Amino acid sequence: MKKVVMKFGGTSVGTGENIRQVASIVTQYSKEYKITVVVSALAGVTNKLLEIACQAKKGDEKLVKDFTNELLQKHKEAVESAIVSKPLQKKVNQRIEEIIAELGKILTGICYVGELTPKSKDYVVSFGERLSAPIVWGAIQNNNLETQCFTGKEAGIVTDSNFGEADPLMDFTVHLVRERLEPLLEKGVIPVVTGFIAANQDGIVTTVGRGGSDYTATILGVALEVDEVWIWTDVDGIMTTDPKLVTTAKLLPQLSYQEAAEMAIFGAKAMHPRALGPVSKETIPVRIRNTFHPENVGTLITKEPVADAKQVVKAVAMIKNVAMLNVNGAAMVGAPGSYTKVFEILGRNNINIMMISAAASEANISMIIKRDMVSRAISNIEIALSGLGGLVSEVTVEEDVAVVAVIGAYMKGNLGLASKVFAIVAKKGINIHMIAQGSSELNISFVVKEKDGIEVIKAIHEEFSLDKA
Amino acid sequence: MRIILVGYGVVGKGVTTILARRYMEKIANYGFNPKVVAIADVDGAVINARGFSAEKLEKFKQKGYPLSADPDFGHQGMSALEVIESVEAEVVVEVTPVNIKNAEPALSYITKAFKTGKHVVTTNKGPLALAMPALTELAAHNNVFLRFSGTVGGGTPMLEFAKRCLAGDKILAIKGILNGTTNYILSEMGQNCISFQDVLANAQKLGYAEREPSMDIDGFDTACKVVILSNWVMGKKVTLKDVNITGIREVTLELLQDAAKRYSTIKLIGTVEDKEVSVKPVEVPWANPLCVSGVLNAVTFQTEYAADQTLIGRGAGGIETANAVLRDLLDIRHKLASKLLS
Repeated sequence: MKKVVMKFGGTSVGTGENIRQVASIVTQYSKEYKITVVVSALAGVTNKLLEIACQAKKGDEKLVKDFTNELLQKHKEAVESAIVSKPLQKKVNQRIEEIIAELGKILTGICYVGELTPKSKDYVVSFGERLSAPIVWGAIQNNNLETQCFTGKEAGIVTDSNFGEADPLMDFTVHLVRERLEPLLEKGVIPVVTGFIAANQDGIVTTVGRGGSDYTATILGVALEVDEVWIWTDVDGIMTTDPKLVTTAKLLPQLSYQEAAEMAIFGAKAMHPRALGPVSKETIPVRIRNTFHPENVGTLITKEPVADAKQVVKAVAMIKNVAMLNVNGAAMVGAPGSYTKVFEILGRNNINIMMISAAASEANISMIIKRDMVSRAISNIEIALSGLGGLVSEVTVEEDVAVVAVIGAYMKGNLGLASKVFAIVAKKGINIHMIAQGSSELNISFVVKEKDGIEVIKAIHEEFSLDKA
Repeated sequence: MRIILVGYGVVGKGVTTILARRYMEKIANYGFNPKVVAIADVDGAVINARGFSAEKLEKFKQKGYPLSADPDFGHQGMSALEVIESVEAEVVVEVTPVNIKNAEPALSYITKAFKTGKHVVTTNKGPLALAMPALTELAAHNNVFLRFSGTVGGGTPMLEFAKRCLAGDKILAIKGILNGTTNYILSEMGQNCISFQDVLANAQKLGYAEREPSMDIDGFDTACKVVILSNWVMGKKVTLKDVNITGIREVTLELLQDAAKRYSTIKLIGTVEDKEVSVKPVEVPWANPLCVSGVLNAVTFQTEYAADQTLIGRGAGGIETANAVLRDLLDIRHKLASKLLS
């Protein structure tokens, strides 16, 4: 029997009804596969937990009380419609009450102490998955399957102590997960594991941060040597572009790990590169599927996509809400370490640089950052680096821009590709403000005025026949 | 260097003997001043934060069981885990009996030592056979060393030979006779035409084979060593379940006589190759340097540049294994010194 890890995202377990759908998918495939289930928190819960953790710091106990009541209500409602059997409902509700009581205590503790360390933040946030997993467990049990509920910690995922962004000790994790879950799989039991959360070697709860539950799924996939990891979500798979922008967007049936990693700029609808790390190393395929249309095949991410999937350009994406920051200064020319200083200032102020371009003249460097970070960026660079004898003479910004990214693994070494892309843009009479292509050649990114963005995307999508894929 | 000794059987006692013997010489030659600050056995422990004197260690041995009854230093009922957690020391020397089912309790002892920032020297194949990649990672994560020369060819430093003397060269494959008991049995069967059952009985009488001989003759002991060699020398992340294991129960006198007609004999060979990790009886020509008799061990490292390098030597008895522990302790001391000074 083949083995799969199935991860169900926040929307997939968003309501009791959806959880029933999850259970029926698991039930259906349990005849063909040995399944390990990974679940996210109910949609929106993780963010609310983060919010309340920050609120609790201010000492408002009443707020905590209201929040936990609301949370209890929400999960009880989900239980009510996810699970039919009354005794089972009672059992799950009891568990949920216990978990929420624990959460209440911790939040009250934060109220009293008045501080929120990364450690306690991880602990609070972990409750989202801890609450959703028993409900999914109950719904599967309700279908008369043998199943057992685990936190990531109980399943054996051990990480470093980098709270909020912990990385697994992969070999140790493999050892423990095999020891704990494999015997169950052999017996036909379906483990339900909380995504996102794990523990350090001392058993203190950590979260894996970026990549979230997908990361948990791929870690377990590697540990259990599964045949495939299936990511169940609320879309059909990864598309050639955002279907909200271009109605002719098509589903991509196959992608390489590298391409899939580039697609991360599509945001929540794709997989985070971090989550692809473990599986790409062991070449375990990942399939993205739609919980609400399980009949669709979805997108398959593998090492070597089949030949007919070897299109040169695979997808085109637009990133909005960004701004272009230009840092000028003759003093930067030929001065080793001058770019470093600029980057360091931005890094220290928690500003992520999404794209960089600098000409060989060295007198100017352009960067793309989130639009809401612009004033912070300008202010800090000016304070630190400009002024008499300073490195930087002027910082300018263009706020009405968008990044267009053209993606595909087989763009590498494909002569004339860039000129074709830029000719398409030129034909529309649109000016390009900034260009960047890494030497991996998986991605050409350029900047246009935001108002022109959609037109550019549409034109490229059409000219490269992505709508006919 | 302060040492917690966990396990007080043949090897454990051997370790105390070796540490106490030529004590001044060790300080003079290596600047190595070993202090056993605790010994944990099944029923309790003895603890002395300042280290037990050589005389006291000798007395423990003579007094025999149970250690924890010592009126001055005994802690009856104190578990080894408690000792590892609470006693201050640089190194835990773990020499409890082998268990290849789940490697316990040794596995818990080693992980506890790591988590409390202690280096580990072990002679126990169990934890390594079942969880070597995990333990290697956990040691690195906690910034401590894990050493285990006593587990493979304790009497013959095979691990260090491969790792240090062949550094820079690429080891393509490892083949070896890694278990003295089975080699003795096969040699006797081949050379003197004695049946398997009779040799086994004799080997048990001579103390070459255990009462419960399965670990040796079914190839598990060799397999454990193969796992350790694969991980340490070849960097392959394998565990016991990745090894294809066939023991020597099916090797008959007829098969051996047949092989002899071809100027060969049959040996239980552990092999690490690119694709496969295995233990099985293999026909080996008499002329092959690997073809050693009796309780000897031999291992050939096939390398890219230096061609074949074969190491022949004694397998491990209690004192050889204890000496391997000393070798590991010296290595850790050396590494620690350069770390402290850097």
